[in-house]
Amino acid sequence: MNKNAPMLIKHTTLWLLACATLGFAAQAQSATSFAGIWLLNGDQSTLKTDEGKLPPLKPEARRSYDAAVKARKAGKPMGDTLSSCLPHGLPRLMLAPYPIEILQEKKQLTFLHEAHHMPRLVYLGEKLPANEALDGNYMGFSAGNWDGDTLVIDTGGFNDLTTLDKAGLPHSEALTLNERLRLVDGGQTLEDVITVNDPETYTKPWKARITFKKMDSGYWLKEQVCTDKNPDA
Amino acid sequence: MNVRIALAVGLVLAGLAPALCLAQQAAGLYRPAAKLPEPKYAPQYSSMEDQRDLSGVWFIRDYNRRFRTPVNTLPPLTAFGKAELDKRIKAETDGAPFADASTHCWPHGVPRVMNSPYPIQIIHSPGKITIVHEVAHNIRQIHMDQPMPATVPTSFLGYSVGHWEGNTLVIETKGTDPRTWIDEEGILHSDKLYTIERIRKVENGENLENEVTLIDPVYFTRPWVKKMNYAWRPDLRVSEYICEENNRNAPQNGVTVAK
Repeated sequence: MNKNAPMLIKHTTLWLLACATLGFAAQAQSATSFAGIWLLNGDQSTLKTDEGKLPPLKPEARRSYDAAVKARKAGKPMGDTLSSCLPHGLPRLMLAPYPIEILQEKKQLTFLHEAHHMPRLVYLGEKLPANEALDGNYMGFSAGNWDGDTLVIDTGGFNDLTTLDKAGLPHSEALTLNERLRLVDGGQTLEDVITVNDPETYTKPWKARITFKKMDSGYWLKEQVCTDKNPDA
Repeated sequence: MNVRIALAVGLVLAGLAPALCLAQQAAGLYRPAAKLPEPKYAPQYSSMEDQRDLSGVWFIRDYNRRFRTPVNTLPPLTAFGKAELDKRIKAETDGAPFADASTHCWPHGVPRVMNSPYPIQIIHSPGKITIVHEVAHNIRQIHMDQPMPATVPTSFLGYSVGHWEGNTLVIETKGTDPRTWIDEEGILHSDKLYTIERIRKVENGENLENEVTLIDPVYFTRPWVKKMNYAWRPDLRVSEYICEENNRNAPQNGVTVAK
């Protein structure tokens, strides 16, 4: 080995390190764009696991869920946040059958929901604080990070006044959500794989998968004002 | 291996390394990192570098619940407009103020929504500018570089089209629901209200100036101007604001029961 060899190795290593660093920096951002207007596929008013099963409810939560389903079946649904024009919470707002516009900036992804004209702000490149560090509210706090071309959104800091779906899947303040969003079908479909973590309500974390289809670019969000005309009165 | 060969090999490797980076880029792994300063929260930054980039969080500087002209006089109200305002001032003094859009938790209307003591966030996207208001989760959409349609559907926030005149964003709005008020005291408007906002960055991008021209022959004898200013606030975020929860001023029979 020549005396220059270590220098060569060092040189090459530096370049590889530079590449690796650039590659790592790439994790902070992605060229993937979810920008556009999306509409939920199918009826997701009764959320099921990605295996099409009832989520793994703990016994007490199961009783509350069964009561809600029974009441709705009998034509006398229990009051929920929507009947008082309060927010859907999550993931229920993502399951609403109304268009969603996504605006994408370097450090923020914004969902504009036609339902209740509700914005959902996702801060990119941030870590989700523990629930205890957040003020519990309806929509929680969302932090997003890129994993290649998939946007991983973690949300926590919820109150326990909402249900996960229209049918009435309950949750506690311990709820955190992990969503993996990616484009499929040549960019015409947005997939959201949602993992529900709530050890107080469910025996284990569970996953649901929902998809959205891209709407014509000519569509613009209409003004839905629940307190004027409540579609869920 | 002599020094010359070593250098040649080194140069080849040095040439290969960016190629490797490019290969990684092609595989979708490499993305250029942003070179923007990083304020505490703001998704973008404000400067005069790009005067047409209004993105970020802003907060009103000169909030006043009453709309007045820039010389602090009452707007040029028609006799009808003045009578309606006086009626509302009296009702408030008497302890039973009229209910307005905000007491019903409806969107606040334009230009009222631009005058609230809560953060607003401006977001640019192709063909659109969106303003997300903390107050009552108003979402205002401005359709860029489109003509104002001959007829627009009535909605609380109206229909807004925008275009740039130099570095001034000009927003025209029509179709604002007459159930909204111009200000919080009781200046009203009809379905003929037409507003033209002229928004531009001033003071090195630290201030956003909004000069609103209000035209409504039912309530005003002539077009008049109201000015508002917003401070660049990268330290703020738009939080959840739920008017519908614990609404202490919920109206009963059209009258706000002040508590």
